[in-house]
Amino acid sequence: MSKLYTGLGLSLFFFASLGVSAGQEASGFPYSWSSFTLKNGLEVVLSDDDTLPLVSVVVAYQAGSLNEQPGKTGLAYLLENMMFMGSLNVGPMQHIGYINRVGGEPNARTTEDIAYFYQTVPANHLALVLWLESDRMKALEIDAAKAERARQFLLDEIRQRKTAEPYLDSQLAFDRLVYPDFAHGHSVLGREEDIQRLGVEDVRAFYATYYVPNNAALVVVGNIDLPGTRELVEKYFETLPPGKKLPLFLPPRPPEKRPVIQSFEDSLVPSLAFHMGFRIAPPFSRDYYVLGILDYLLFKGKSARFYRKLVKKEGYALYLTGGIEKRKDVAVMKLFAVNNNTAMVELCQKSIISELNKLRTSDISAKELAKAKNLFKRDYLSRLASPVERAMFLAEMVFSPIGLDGLPDELPRYMRISPFEVRMVANRYLVPESSVVLNVNTK
Amino acid sequence: MNKKTWACIWIFLSVGSALAQQERFRKSPPIPDPLPLLELPKIESTRLANGLTVAVISRPDQPFISLDLIILAGESQSPQSLPGLASFTAGIMSRGTLLVSAADLEERIDAIGGDFSTTTTPDLSRFSLRCLDGFLEQALEALSQMVLQPDFNDREIVALKRTQFYELKQKQRDPEFVGRRQLLRVLFKDHPYRQSFFSEDVFRNLTKKDVQAFYDLHYRPNNALVVLSGNLNLLTAVKRVSHFFNVWPMKETERPPLPPLQANSEERFCFVDFPQVKEATLVIGNLVYPLTEPDYFPLAVLLQVLGGTPYSRLFMNLREAKEYAYSAFSGLELFQRCGYYAITAAVIPSAAGASIREILRELDRITRDKVSNFELEQAKSYLIGHFPLQISRPDQLSRHISEILAFSLGDAHWGRFTDNIVQVDADRIFEAAQKYLMPKPVVIIVGDKNVLLDALRDLDRLEVYDLKGVLLHTLVKGVEG
Repeated sequence: MSKLYTGLGLSLFFFASLGVSAGQEASGFPYSWSSFTLKNGLEVVLSDDDTLPLVSVVVAYQAGSLNEQPGKTGLAYLLENMMFMGSLNVGPMQHIGYINRVGGEPNARTTEDIAYFYQTVPANHLALVLWLESDRMKALEIDAAKAERARQFLLDEIRQRKTAEPYLDSQLAFDRLVYPDFAHGHSVLGREEDIQRLGVEDVRAFYATYYVPNNAALVVVGNIDLPGTRELVEKYFETLPPGKKLPLFLPPRPPEKRPVIQSFEDSLVPSLAFHMGFRIAPPFSRDYYVLGILDYLLFKGKSARFYRKLVKKEGYALYLTGGIEKRKDVAVMKLFAVNNNTAMVELCQKSIISELNKLRTSDISAKELAKAKNLFKRDYLSRLASPVERAMFLAEMVFSPIGLDGLPDELPRYMRISPFEVRMVANRYLVPESSVVLNVNTK
Repeated sequence: MNKKTWACIWIFLSVGSALAQQERFRKSPPIPDPLPLLELPKIESTRLANGLTVAVISRPDQPFISLDLIILAGESQSPQSLPGLASFTAGIMSRGTLLVSAADLEERIDAIGGDFSTTTTPDLSRFSLRCLDGFLEQALEALSQMVLQPDFNDREIVALKRTQFYELKQKQRDPEFVGRRQLLRVLFKDHPYRQSFFSEDVFRNLTKKDVQAFYDLHYRPNNALVVLSGNLNLLTAVKRVSHFFNVWPMKETERPPLPPLQANSEERFCFVDFPQVKEATLVIGNLVYPLTEPDYFPLAVLLQVLGGTPYSRLFMNLREAKEYAYSAFSGLELFQRCGYYAITAAVIPSAAGASIREILRELDRITRDKVSNFELEQAKSYLIGHFPLQISRPDQLSRHISEILAFSLGDAHWGRFTDNIVQVDADRIFEAAQKYLMPKPVVIIVGDKNVLLDALRDLDRLEVYDLKGVLLHTLVKGVEG
């Protein structure tokens, strides 16, 4: 199977038909790419960019915390660490060594649904990266000593994070409230007591199930020759055996629509605070795009509504942050505020409800909507600014419900949102009866 | 044979058979293609009639415009009694002008998909505005209003004092930030560069008059440069920049020469008490002064060999071999008048003393023995291969170029960078090590004194500071002296 798209052509057509003002043109995805699937199920995306003699390679597995079972939390993140501890032909730490020696940057990241392994190297070392990535996809060396080491790293990281982030515990508690099902409600970091009990067999089983070609995407972006790169990809990856059929992942039942208000006592937090959230439309649904723009209107930029009102104008919050968080098939609009005292907490929450009421009852101005769209566009295009970011973005899109086919129209869809649609989604989702609030009190 | 021996044989056979079955090409890394040619974007620049330098990097493929305005005055120009004044003055610029309120400015920047930030270093103050392509006009208008017509509104001054206080408090949650700041405070002692490394309470004493005076003295076109990158050329840029900045009057600016610096040469250990922090953070370094241009390159390779990556000596020793550290790296920072090297390591508290000894041993080793060819080539290969990565984002590119221009680093750090690294050999590294790493470095240890001081009893003399950098007392062999 092979597809070849030129995002630029499609977006220029869109731009011509839209006729919007300078700076607001819908540029879609202004890069070309081609994609194909290997016999073993590995999805491959190639995108040429000759600006600099660099190439970025991302291998992404659908293996995040959502794939963990109760009692086995932290496994996905632990495995991310173990992927650098050696495979059949590559010794421990050598992956990093090989990449560093040529000036490259290796890295990895695990989210709720995807584990990404990514690196950028001088373009002449593309084969080296494919060799390294195929080796750890084919035969990662997992033993008890390595698993123990990875467990210690993870436990250390949790301890460090808890010291550095005083509100982390309350944030994890809030996640359990706002995502009531186990799969979505637990953190990538995992629970310390679960991690203590993870054995080498758990790690082997997780690797064998999820780190397989038919659950992965390989994206190469940079100064590449397309036919030559395809040849290399086939050489290193085509003969890797596919894994067994993947366990079925069932989306959770939507929680009951009723307000939830709870308290969390924590003696280590410096000030009172609260978390607030609303379960919203699933990612990539029609309403989700509208909520994406609404997110910018409420939270992003220095003139965003909530920051301006609650921090600058009314002074009810000392600090405020928020936005949409998506965990595969579920999304939440979250808000976190730090306040001086209980009265400020109450005033702050009332003020948020009143602001949301306004959104539900009157259309936002065209000017404010254009501003939110431009900020959104800035961040969207920033995610494409360097080869490695673009490769990560493409990998995420491979696994998304819209796939790469939906890419050329992704940004334009956001740019088409109208004030009426914003009002409608505010009415549908940002209502008190679907709110979840966790008040954080100092003991 | 016992069970263990059988297990070993089984593992050996299965690994052996897996290795034997795999395709030949999987057994060793592939040979790379030839190094691709690095074609760097051209930097074009000119000077306007009022002395403002305008530089452009044309990147027609970019959907953003990056705009950096650099004022060649940083914290080293703050009066000795007013550290933090340069940072505060830069910060107040975006807080409203004579005609446009702070809120309006924020609104205008958001409306163009903009992102605005200020940075102040010992040498310069930088205003960075990045926006979507197509909004150059609006970006320049906003930036020129900020810099040419600042209001210094009393209410905004109070608000900024609070913001900068909390921002610095936030940064101080990071032990490495605290350690590095302490290192530079010690290294720069009474030098004007010391002004940069202040604590959060410095803002309290600043007045509108101080800010106005700093602005009047330093914010001049002939003491500034504008660097633009994106879908534009020099002609367009000059036309647009002069439209908004030609009314900025030229005025002679005084920049008294900075006094000479001297590297630390005496053994010095300083402890910064950071209550409740779980690990120990070590920051060990010294000034490299005077750092001449040809010396920069061997020194950069040297510090790469020592601790540039997880595959360098420090990481392999402290983390992989001894398991003392979570991380251990070394790096070189440049200011206009000097450079400094710093080794940073996050270590297990009980291994703090042993880690310091290991780091000092590694420093000593590199000044005694020439680096091997393998290490040399590995380090050079890293620096050459990594160079384009450092400019792969538009904002990185314009920041890099604005530094080259502001510090007058010239083509040695741009077009000739790769050649300069290629030419480094083991002898030049050895000379650089002898020259710059022989003087005894300053050792900073950041951690919880209740956990750490016991492990540091062996040190002859240990100065103990609080988080603000106030000397609390000195310990001699673990006893308050």
